[in-house]
Amino acid sequence: MASMQTRPPAAFRLDDESLVFPETGEDEAFLLDEVEMVGNLPVVSTPVKPRRSPLKVLFWASLGSLVSLGIGLAIANLIEDLFARYAWLGWVGAALAAVFVLTCAVLLAREAIALRRLAKIDELRAQADAVLVSDSRTDGLRVVGDLLSFYASRPATARGRAALERERREIIDGADLVRLAERELMPLLDAEAQRTVAAAAKRVSLVTAVAPRAILDVAVVAAVAVRLIRQIATVYGGRPGTFGFLRLLRHVLTHLALTGGMAAGEGMLDQLVGHGIAAKVSARLGEGVINGVLTARIGLAAIAVCRPLPFAAQRQPTLRDVAGGLFERKAKD
Amino acid sequence: MNLSNLAQDARIAAASLRDAAVGTVNPTVRLGVAGLSRAGKTVFITALVNALTKGARLPLFRVHADGRLIGAHLSPQPDDAVPRFAIEEHLLAILDERVWPESTRRISELRLVLDFQSESLLGRLGPSRLTLDIVDYPGEWLLDLGLMGKTYAQWSSEAVALSRTGTRARFAADWHKVLETNAPSDPESEAIVRNSAELFTDYLRASRTARHALSALPPGRFLMPGDLEGSPMLTFAPLDVAADAETEPGTLHAMMERRYDAYVSHVVKPFFREHFARLDRQIVLVDTLAALDAGPEAVADLELALTDVLTAFRHGGNTWLSTLFRPRVDRILFAATKADMLHHTSHDRLEAILERLVSKARQRAAFAGAEVDVRAIAAVRATREASVRRGGQELPVIVGTPEPGERAGGQVFSGEEEVAIFPGDLPEDPARALAPEGYRGRGDTEDGDLRFVRFRPPASDDGRLPHIRMDRVLEFLLGDKLA
Repeated sequence: MASMQTRPPAAFRLDDESLVFPETGEDEAFLLDEVEMVGNLPVVSTPVKPRRSPLKVLFWASLGSLVSLGIGLAIANLIEDLFARYAWLGWVGAALAAVFVLTCAVLLAREAIALRRLAKIDELRAQADAVLVSDSRTDGLRVVGDLLSFYASRPATARGRAALERERREIIDGADLVRLAERELMPLLDAEAQRTVAAAAKRVSLVTAVAPRAILDVAVVAAVAVRLIRQIATVYGGRPGTFGFLRLLRHVLTHLALTGGMAAGEGMLDQLVGHGIAAKVSARLGEGVINGVLTARIGLAAIAVCRPLPFAAQRQPTLRDVAGGLFERKAKD
Repeated sequence: MNLSNLAQDARIAAASLRDAAVGTVNPTVRLGVAGLSRAGKTVFITALVNALTKGARLPLFRVHADGRLIGAHLSPQPDDAVPRFAIEEHLLAILDERVWPESTRRISELRLVLDFQSESLLGRLGPSRLTLDIVDYPGEWLLDLGLMGKTYAQWSSEAVALSRTGTRARFAADWHKVLETNAPSDPESEAIVRNSAELFTDYLRASRTARHALSALPPGRFLMPGDLEGSPMLTFAPLDVAADAETEPGTLHAMMERRYDAYVSHVVKPFFREHFARLDRQIVLVDTLAALDAGPEAVADLELALTDVLTAFRHGGNTWLSTLFRPRVDRILFAATKADMLHHTSHDRLEAILERLVSKARQRAAFAGAEVDVRAIAAVRATREASVRRGGQELPVIVGTPEPGERAGGQVFSGEEEVAIFPGDLPEDPARALAPEGYRGRGDTEDGDLRFVRFRPPASDDGRLPHIRMDRVLEFLLGDKLA
């Protein structure tokens, strides 16, 4: 809305044909906004991508082409050989190859979609952060519109979406809109994510307490962490594939590295006290608690990375919220 | 600091101690609704009470949105000497007759009790209760608060200087003639004083007509005398004296000064002490649009009046000691009222202008540790929004039923038909709203750059009133007390 000069006052009769009420015209306006935003996307995301040297690109591209050529050749040779033996075997081989190519294409497409969804979450969070500062209503409406379409397939958010749908027609400032969206859509998902983290932490601490070998502990923590990150991404609507998961894992690790120091301060006392009591009972139990806390921390980082909105209206879950059960249970046992 | 100020402070401290003692058992919030006349205090209070008791759409008011607000009801007020706020009458006027309540002529009080369950540890013990005390009063009286820190000579010299500027000089012409013939050292005379006071009051009345909408017009009781009509306390006027002039006994000056002092100590100070000295939260309602409609002079005048009035309040963070003896307003919201006369895309500019108007008070309060916010609000939203596409341009308009007799674009409205209005673009640079010749107001020419039409209240079928940002206001003013 850039108005260059001031426009004089004017009055119109209601039967004036040029008068448009937003109740009818609003959806078009929103569509327009969305189209614009999708058009903007590459510009937003390019600076985030790490720069690649053309030499490296050439290297990977040539290597990739060679490998796929090799695989293609191998399959072609195989089918030829099969045909040379028996014709029917050749047909079976050809059919299998076709299925292989098709499934490959579908898997790749799904990966691409999953990556797109993850990128969308990151982008939503960045936009919401910006709106919380700028308080711009147009941008706030855009975030809310995106959230509504993002969660359109989640039945559990139906009531929150209906409420948001109503409120976005009212006059509410941008930052308030984002907070409202968080309060309407996130609590259910947050609760589910926290439950998932707490359950994973409990499982890890239990398994480590009874596992006979230290190497098993590591394996269990790694396996549970991988599953946990996927689960949390799914809770918030990310549904990562393989590549998506790798990307997510990198984000989670970065987040852990960045916030690890701060988080240590916040929950250290609890951990020390809890660990102390548990360790008195048994050394294995103490290790179990430590591993549980580690898992909980990974879960918290995953929540921070996977949630499409920043914690502005809602309290961010702390270690105590998701791993609190660990200490009580252990101390009692 | 003289003896009467000390006595005033001691009384306030005693009352605060009593409040603190009561407050430990029964938490109470004294909400100060400050606003000059026509700022919309009565409508704001009515809408606030209606929203809380009837359960309106308040998505941003956490305690309500979270479902922790059990209910709100009116309860007998604490002060039996003060009339009760006529909420039922005002609601009837707005909802049934679709007219705004008449301007307030006397002080009135209301107590609202909110039952809620706290989110904190306290909430586990069961529901809590918060009492909200609200006072309504004629906005003209608020202007007097600026007089408390001034002597007669100071006020006199300021008032005379001000009356010689801009449009005021035209209205004050008659009074100026008398002023020239009356030397301060003349012997005292009831006839002269009475005549002078009448002409001075006429000048104040003329200055505040809707077309010119000037605001800085103390003393307020001259415009709205209440039960003091004809009292000698209201029979005085400024004289052309220096700010540090000394008085001789028996002169006109001495007589005027005596009455001014009586006015300040018997009218202004008790009013302040009873209703403003012990506030917890404050909302300052400002009818920025009426001043903008009139022109830059009216806007600058509004700034002057607001700055003067707001110096009387104590804003800032509280310590336990200050809570006991002299609580300070720790949250203050400046609200540009009647924001429904504008399309929401202009609200940012309206807020910027209001921010500019109250910038001094705002900085002072923020520096003292109070939380400050500035918002464009409409306690009762009388319009809908739409847009007009014409000649490739899109004009954001508002649609509502103008009050009978309102005019815009050469039309006079009947008060029955709905029309769409584009009120003009607010100046983008807030400084231009105050600068002489910053834009053309209606005070100078018939067709100004801005035209804000007053609308009738909206038709409502379910007794709830639509609003703009009232939930935001409630959250800011009361949110932490209901957490």
